[in-house]
Amino acid sequence: MIIALPTTTSGEKSFISEHFGRSNFFYIYNTETKTGEVYVNANKDGQGGVGVKSVEFILKHGTNILITPRVGEKAMNLLSETDVKIYTNTDEIVKENIASFLNGELKEL
Amino acid sequence: MQIAILSGKGGTGKTLLSVNLSYLAENGTYVDCDVEEPNGLLYYQLENKKTEEVSIKIPVVNHDLCNGCEKCTDFCKFNALAFILDKVRVFKDLCHSCGGCKLVCPTNAISEIDKTVGYIHSGKIFDTNIYSGEMIVGLESGIPIIDELLNQVKNSSRNVFIDSPPGNGCSVMESIRDSNYCLLIAEPTIFGLHNLNMVYNLVKVFNKKVGIVINKASENSIIEDYALENNVNIIGRIPMDLELGRINSEGKIVASYDEYKPLFTDILTNIYKELNL
Amino acid sequence: MKQLLILSGKGGTGKTTIASSFIELSKAKAFADCDVEAPNLHLVMNTNTKTSTPYYGMGKAIIDQSKCIKCGLCKESCRFGAIDFSDKYEINLFKCEGCSVCEFVCPENAIEMASYKDGETTIYRDNYIFSTAELNMGSGNSGKLVMKVKENLKDNLTDEPLAIIDGSPGIGCPVIASLSGVDMVLIVTEPSVSGMSDMIRIIKTAEHFRVKIAVCINKYDTNISQKQKIEKYLIDRKIELIGKIVYDKNISKILNEGKTAVSVDSEASRSIKNIYSRAIEILNS
Repeated sequence: MIIALPTTTSGEKSFISEHFGRSNFFYIYNTETKTGEVYVNANKDGQGGVGVKSVEFILKHGTNILITPRVGEKAMNLLSETDVKIYTNTDEIVKENIASFLNGELKEL
Repeated sequence: MQIAILSGKGGTGKTLLSVNLSYLAENGTYVDCDVEEPNGLLYYQLENKKTEEVSIKIPVVNHDLCNGCEKCTDFCKFNALAFILDKVRVFKDLCHSCGGCKLVCPTNAISEIDKTVGYIHSGKIFDTNIYSGEMIVGLESGIPIIDELLNQVKNSSRNVFIDSPPGNGCSVMESIRDSNYCLLIAEPTIFGLHNLNMVYNLVKVFNKKVGIVINKASENSIIEDYALENNVNIIGRIPMDLELGRINSEGKIVASYDEYKPLFTDILTNIYKELNL
Repeated sequence: MKQLLILSGKGGTGKTTIASSFIELSKAKAFADCDVEAPNLHLVMNTNTKTSTPYYGMGKAIIDQSKCIKCGLCKESCRFGAIDFSDKYEINLFKCEGCSVCEFVCPENAIEMASYKDGETTIYRDNYIFSTAELNMGSGNSGKLVMKVKENLKDNLTDEPLAIIDGSPGIGCPVIASLSGVDMVLIVTEPSVSGMSDMIRIIKTAEHFRVKIAVCINKYDTNISQKQKIEKYLIDRKIELIGKIVYDKNISKILNEGKTAVSVDSEASRSIKNIYSRAIEILNS
């Protein structure tokens, strides 16, 4: 299973970004290999449509689960057409949220 | 002749001035370019108004022809296209209508259709020609509507008064495009002065002839001082007058009242003088 | 952090007057001015420790005249009328939207997109953080700059319970950008046909964002019948009217001295205080 999280800095100790589309990075975690990778969000400075492009990005990485505080309207509509499940973070740190999710402690958005 | 009425700050009396001047002017035309918040028609209540749609071109994708190369999604600088679930999706609210996606598509899978972005209402009342643009709520840019408004009055031989949007952004630039004269309206407050300075710098870039009208004129002389410093003429002063404000807030034309008519006639005369008419 | 955004639709209804009063009343340590086309809030915030950063928006096209063969394809292809021709082809930077179609069609690769300074963001630091920005004249991209203002505010804070944001007039891209992520919108209107028409348009815009909405009427006594129309509309739409402020000509004098409306006691300033208390209640409810 692939988990995606928008983050402010790089790495598993990073904070979760408040804005899905305008986050600095994406942290993509693979639960099978238990490894995560950091990707720069190349679209974050776009004038608009950053949420849409971020959905495009996480889908390309085969994401099943998205953990984020909120998602904009356009991105939300788009995600609802996919199999991606969205969960709200409870903690500010990436690592803690992945652990909470795996323990079944996060709520679906 | 075209006169644009501008102010950096909103609510300083742009609509008041442009409505009343176009009402008094012989062969007057009023053009409401504040398409995000158009208010001119609240004063000029047209009985038989004509309404036209303004549209822009947006792409549609023929999925049978699309080979999924993603050239279009990469090209679009406005993120209006995305490749999702093996399909190119168009987000029409983000599209700036540049036509780039159609140009880069190697399989001719993209064509264009019209999307309505707003309306132009027009008509005639008290011998004044009226054009008012309105942007559809929820959209981001009113530029195509302003463009179309200006095209409709471009070669007009009438005295055209343009009610510009507030601020100094792209839509303001657009609205003064063809104007012969820019009338800046400001209140004597620190906010008013700050924004007057902003919009003055804008009209200077375009080498437009310019004059200032002070609204809610008081004993505070900051606007006069500014005008003197920058060598701009004060074309008129609208005093702080609660009754005038009340009439205007009802959507009535102040200059149709005998006691206020001279105030606006004087401003009009001064503008014509500045333009050597 | 809860974010309270102050909007009006129509300009000049008293957004900044209310915003600066709220900042004083709340002792908020976090605030922003999102009216990037005509920022005003800094004029009543007495502070001078600031850092400004240039802001680069969309790239814009540049033509390398030494490569240009004057084929005119760029001008023909530009949908924004941004390419002028007199004796040579030139980009009108005020009109260029940065789409890069001209760069694509140019057979000689004479055009490229270059980054372009669209304005400046500024952060004032005192015992608070105040984030603001100013767009260069005629620049587009104000929506993105607004996002930057809000980002700057957030990035410079750790644990602030409340942020107060002064919005911009209109309903277009800067307003939409300022709405994203806020918890509540307070709309400041005035009793006039245009004040009401603009209020209705801004309410419709804000409703897209599913945020809490409340309204206050400034200078309500300047036109009682219009005030009543606004009241009726709000009741019908089930939107709370959280206060009315009398017209007080002293307020502009007080603001001209660089002070806030609530710094001097008056009927108007007491109304603003009540509006503030109710707004905070709604925000935290």
